[in-house]
Amino acid sequence: MTRKIEGGQSFVLFPLGKKRFALPANVVTELARPDRLQPFPHTTRMLAGVLLRRGRIVPVCDVAPVLVGAAAPPRKFFLIANRTFGSSREWTAIPVTGECELATAELLPVTGKLPRYVTGLLSLKQEIVEVLDLELLSGAEAEA
Amino acid sequence: MHHGEAVILFASAGITFAISAAAVDEIRNTSGLEPLRAGHLGPKFSKFKYTLERDGRTYFVVDANEHFHALPTRHTRLLVLRASPTAILVDGIDRMTEIASLHALPRAFAGDERNWYRGLAVLKDSVVPVVNADAFLSRAECTILKAAVEKMGAAKGVVAG
Repeated sequence: MTRKIEGGQSFVLFPLGKKRFALPANVVTELARPDRLQPFPHTTRMLAGVLLRRGRIVPVCDVAPVLVGAAAPPRKFFLIANRTFGSSREWTAIPVTGECELATAELLPVTGKLPRYVTGLLSLKQEIVEVLDLELLSGAEAEA
Repeated sequence: MHHGEAVILFASAGITFAISAAAVDEIRNTSGLEPLRAGHLGPKFSKFKYTLERDGRTYFVVDANEHFHALPTRHTRLLVLRASPTAILVDGIDRMTEIASLHALPRAFAGDERNWYRGLAVLKDSVVPVVNADAFLSRAECTILKAAVEKMGAAKGVVAG
């Protein structure tokens, strides 16, 4: 489903339980079906393991505990996004709890006290959706 | 990218790892281990559980689970390394195989694992971390442990004398 508002930017809306969040559409590569998560020991927060997707090893970054707490429902799909590391880019899989939606909307400035990783707000029909910066979100968790 | 590297697949904490076959001198059972109390040297030393005397050399035995911050499991095998006085306690050995290529660890992994692993290998549909054999015992840890063992030996000598 695609929503359109004149003069806006495109975002991918993804659900985590009852709440939805958004990423700029230009950082999202695809929505993938459930795949075999392969964990191995590490000490990086939020990383749950890796996926093997079309021959690529994709780290899985589970942002749900940070955004909606420990009681997040089971994640059903993986949203594949591009993360930037210096001059290079790398796929990251974000587990989400349901279908995603592409929306075009005006990015509104953050009002009130919200975490640094919320870079703006989308005012949709019946909800206000927080737009996230993946890099700041990872950093915020690392600092916690 | 390395091509056609022989590796030994071993299990620890329910996870399969690979180590370069060239880094391993011997695979043996867990007999002949002498307890080592190194916890007083600091939390980083708690993974050194035993020493092994082999061919007149003292090896420091690393519990692989503690090295990888994993929960304990039952160890049945010991990987004695070739280039350093290190032996690794693991759950078991799977097999020897060859990896076609070594993939760099994704940049998203930013913690201790960047030192623990040389990279990742893909075997059929499985991703296997390829361990960095040098990470189990650093030079500094080796120096401190050798000094501690010498001190313990001297103390034993005094008591015995």
